[in-house]
Amino acid sequence: MRTLITDEMRAIVGVVMDEATSYPIAASDIRRWALAVYHPEVPPPEFWDEDDPATVAMGGIVAPDEFNPLAWITKEPGPARRSPPEGTHRVGAFEAALGVEPPPFRAVLQGEIRARYGEVRMRPGDVIRATTRITEYAEREGRMGLQLYTTVSEELTNQDGAWVKTVDTVFVRY
Amino acid sequence: MPVDVGAIVPGMELPVFEREGSLLHWVRYAAVNPAHIVGHHFDDDVARSEGFDAAFIMAPLEHAYLHVLLRNWMGRQGRVRRLDIRLRRPLLRGRTLRAGGKVVAVHREGRSVLVTLDVWETDDLGELLAPGTAEVELVADRT
Repeated sequence: MRTLITDEMRAIVGVVMDEATSYPIAASDIRRWALAVYHPEVPPPEFWDEDDPATVAMGGIVAPDEFNPLAWITKEPGPARRSPPEGTHRVGAFEAALGVEPPPFRAVLQGEIRARYGEVRMRPGDVIRATTRITEYAEREGRMGLQLYTTVSEELTNQDGAWVKTVDTVFVRY
Repeated sequence: MPVDVGAIVPGMELPVFEREGSLLHWVRYAAVNPAHIVGHHFDDDVARSEGFDAAFIMAPLEHAYLHVLLRNWMGRQGRVRRLDIRLRRPLLRGRTLRAGGKVVAVHREGRSVLVTLDVWETDDLGELLAPGTAEVELVADRT
């Protein structure tokens, strides 16, 4: 039976693939995110207006749960170190981060997103740490041929070690 | 107007949320989440080379729109605890996304109300794009 999953790929399931630490979240990061997601509507004030009574009651501006604090640049690794070595720059070549040859593919899509959120919200000043692992491989024949399903799990915690969220994304490579 | 927490029952439907599938929206999202500055979201030719009829929305933005659907319904009295979606087909450029939801279970414990919902996104042709499930927690007197 044809498979794209090698023994080397199986061996990295559950292994930390990437770790990153954000710069302290700025209120303007949250504001821009909320404006982009809510456009053309005005986002709820707790995402942008620190003087709104509801925001004050919540202890200040909070981030939408889906906010990504590591989107543009991370403190660790910094942008120079984040540049992948030659051959690993291709979007979807996850295994390369652990020195494993990725399977051949011509496209990568997201097939599923599963998010879990903790009690703690992200707020201005928080420093968020993300830990990423491949947690599952699966395969299926589809209209584009053999498709490889790769679950990438990203866990976010804050500067106190409190769990913020875990997002599992199932990528489809074909 | 947020939902009346005491009135939440299985079968209750959420107000529909709509967004145009437009580069005007997608460029804004890419500007705050640049990992999604990828050709197939902006260039019809690239999308066609990957088997699609046109450029299409970023998956995390579809996921984010369901958060907005839930937040619009809950107001500040609620939090999303879990939100899972399967991305069956993407919203193509030029179509309109319609997101909806329906309460399937309600569990009350003290002031806390845990609600399980089916959620979904379709386009304006009625094609199912992304079915999913969610769990939210509401507190009646949360400000």
